[in-house]
Amino acid sequence: MDSGIAMAGQSGATVAVADRSPAAWARVSERVALYLRALGIEDPLHRERLLVRVQQRWEARVSAMPLEDPVEAGIEEAYALLDAWLCTELDITGEIDTLFTARAAVLSGAVPNWTARFAGVSGESIAAQVRAAGVQPEPEPAPLDMEPSTINLCCHDLGRRITGALRVLAGSEPAAAPPRKEQPR
Amino acid sequence: MTSESRIGIMGHHYRRILFFLLVLLTTLGAMSLLSVAFQDGGTRPHELVMLGLYAILTLWISASFWTATIGFAMLVTGRDHYAIANADTRAAGAAPSGPFKTALVMPVYNEDPVRVFAGLRAMWQSLVETGQQDGFEVFVVSDTRDPDIWVEEELLWRRWAKEMGHPARVFYRNRVENTSRKSGNIADFCRRWGGRYRYMIVLDADSIMAGETLVEMVARMERNPKVALIQVPPVPVNRSSLFSRMLQFAGSLYGRMFTAGLSYWQLGTSNFWGHNAIIRVKPFADHCGLPKLPGREPFGGEILSHDFVEAALLRRAGWRVWLAYDLGGSYEEIPPTLIDYAKRDRRWCQGNLQHSRLVFARGFKPLSRIHFAMGVMSYMASPLWLIFLVVTGVAAYFQSLVEPVYFFGNNILPVWPETYTVEMTTVLWVTLTMLFLPKILALVLLAAKPALSRQFGGLVRATLSVLTESLFSVLLAPVLMLFQSKFVLAILLRQNVGWPAQQRGDHQTGFAEAFGTHLSHTLIAVVVGFLSYQYVPSFFWWFTPVLAGLALSIPVSMITSRVWLGQLARRAGIFLTPEETAQPRVLHLLEQNLERAGTPLCTTATGGDLWYRAVVDPCAYALHASMLPDETPNRRRRHYLEGLIFQLQDEGLGSLKPNEKRALVSHRDGLFELHTLLWAAAQPPSPGQIAGVAASSGAIHQ
Repeated sequence: MDSGIAMAGQSGATVAVADRSPAAWARVSERVALYLRALGIEDPLHRERLLVRVQQRWEARVSAMPLEDPVEAGIEEAYALLDAWLCTELDITGEIDTLFTARAAVLSGAVPNWTARFAGVSGESIAAQVRAAGVQPEPEPAPLDMEPSTINLCCHDLGRRITGALRVLAGSEPAAAPPRKEQPR
Repeated sequence: MTSESRIGIMGHHYRRILFFLLVLLTTLGAMSLLSVAFQDGGTRPHELVMLGLYAILTLWISASFWTATIGFAMLVTGRDHYAIANADTRAAGAAPSGPFKTALVMPVYNEDPVRVFAGLRAMWQSLVETGQQDGFEVFVVSDTRDPDIWVEEELLWRRWAKEMGHPARVFYRNRVENTSRKSGNIADFCRRWGGRYRYMIVLDADSIMAGETLVEMVARMERNPKVALIQVPPVPVNRSSLFSRMLQFAGSLYGRMFTAGLSYWQLGTSNFWGHNAIIRVKPFADHCGLPKLPGREPFGGEILSHDFVEAALLRRAGWRVWLAYDLGGSYEEIPPTLIDYAKRDRRWCQGNLQHSRLVFARGFKPLSRIHFAMGVMSYMASPLWLIFLVVTGVAAYFQSLVEPVYFFGNNILPVWPETYTVEMTTVLWVTLTMLFLPKILALVLLAAKPALSRQFGGLVRATLSVLTESLFSVLLAPVLMLFQSKFVLAILLRQNVGWPAQQRGDHQTGFAEAFGTHLSHTLIAVVVGFLSYQYVPSFFWWFTPVLAGLALSIPVSMITSRVWLGQLARRAGIFLTPEETAQPRVLHLLEQNLERAGTPLCTTATGGDLWYRAVVDPCAYALHASMLPDETPNRRRRHYLEGLIFQLQDEGLGSLKPNEKRALVSHRDGLFELHTLLWAAAQPPSPGQIAGVAASSGAIHQ
């Protein structure tokens, strides 16, 4: 989404900040920790490790540009961290649908121990499990042409056609100009 | 000798000639009786009107009567040389070869997702029990607009897909724009994935089909490469109210005679009833793209009742359409109350009346034209009966004003006025016979088939059921006549019906609803009863069955909607159907699935506003986002979404309409923005309290 929607998300009470002090992060980290927990990361150790990485990303972002809302930026960075990890784990670049499917797979709890891998605690790849847990809602396209059939209604526009014919007979309209015939698709 | 040669033109013609001859002769006979009564002193204009109306109505009821009678004969004898069950025409046409798949296509529109998925799972489980599931896939094609139902459908789909594992056999898509309603939904499926399947079995949200039936439908299509569609008549099941149990009983007992009779004369030019039918996908895609009819709604525009038209288009292209009346294991659920039944009629009425424009369209087979005409008549019959009754009443009134003159001129002996009581009574009896004889034939059928009789609770209980059902039919018929007449009038006045979702599942009619709906019927009964009693007392007594139905419409509507009465009748063995006597396996599976239906996939996403949870709950959010198309909204759309987010912030959740909520969760980017925005709010969401966050606070971000 463009910045327009991002701006729209603000109530107007917040101001642009470039504060990356420990105090500022402390306010943000509380919410990010809550969010990580909502993602399914129950182990405090995993959360701690991930919080450190989110903090790094958040501080880099603060340094690069003033933030409208530091908490929102923290949440975005947590999510971006998840996406980055999934892309690395699955070795994908730019495959948006694959990423979304993988994200749905891990967050639905279909992949055991994914949080350990995400937090960098486990060294064992879980790419196969993530791929296996992914479910595509739609199969590959197998298109068929299906054009609207023609149905010629009897007596449709009959009044107009009779009037047109009568005009032709009466000579008020040249014979070359046929009465308008609306052809139903 | 192949069955194709046996399903010869001669056989078809013989059957159809016999059927239409019977219908025609019956109509002419009844008309001649009436015209004899009218010809006293020449036929007057109102008598001509009555004669014309009676001719149309007799044609209509005699067609039903002979269909049921022939069906009865077929079921009693068990003989049908031309049934699709016995046909094998592979030698006559190039049969497609190689492996193929069949899709179970479930189009849904704001239906109860739990019921939809419980039904689909039951069908799949039944299919697995046949061991033939490998050739089948399930495809839920959703046109759902309600955002909560949409998200619930996704969660239920995902849970089932996860359980099914690989290879994927159950698919789901929600259409971005639901153009052309159900027919557009199916057409979209064909356009995008039609090439994947040789056949599709089209279902409805309340359809249930047994695994063996599904397998047999495919087998019959494979044996008959020129057949494009086989319709399996659905039997109504699973409802508990008195009204629906009566309909279920009638549908199961009389329905089997009617469908057998229909198959007798329709043969390979049968009809499509919209669901519980198998369709050959390629010819369907080639020929059944529906055009818009010229002119505006309700008669122009999109074709509403698409099924009849699709069957006619297939026949026009040379493909055959069959009714497999002998095939069981096909079920549907029906509206639970008289009022719900009438509401469904309102939608169907518009679609069927629209077919009046197609009766004489070029290129259709004569029998397809008859299907269209019969569809129109199924609703036009009501206003025609109403007009017939009114004209009869008016004629009786004027007749009552005529003083009999017994002495003419110089005659000293009185000249008694000729009476036609015998003829008029005969007309009445002929009409009543045609309406009620099929019910008696149904009992004869049960008497001839003891095993079937036991399934209906035995002959005594079945007889009691038929008598009770007939009594209620008499009471309900005038009410339905007025309902349908009103619908027809509204449609003729060009009032559109829209596309409301159907009321399914048992619920009961309260006094306020019954009073509001039937007050006009009661008042009509009182006024007409008073006038006829006052001015034409002899007519009043003839008219009492109609008046009684209308006068009692409020209590009858309420009483028949009662579930406890339906259950009481069931315990007493009244209105028992074979499906109630011995529950089919697939219905048992459905019941089990409904009982087990519990937590959707994302455990925090239970109850409350599901669409909002799809925004906030990371699990539901990730799943929903994964199922959205990867497209960026255009600038106009973005501004619209921004406005909605402002509204959400300033006025809270309650201020959003369903279509606005849907818009908010329809784009990945906007959804992500909302997701992070809500998680950054002053009061964070937490499991179990998610729905309350913005709803209670109004402003999200402070």
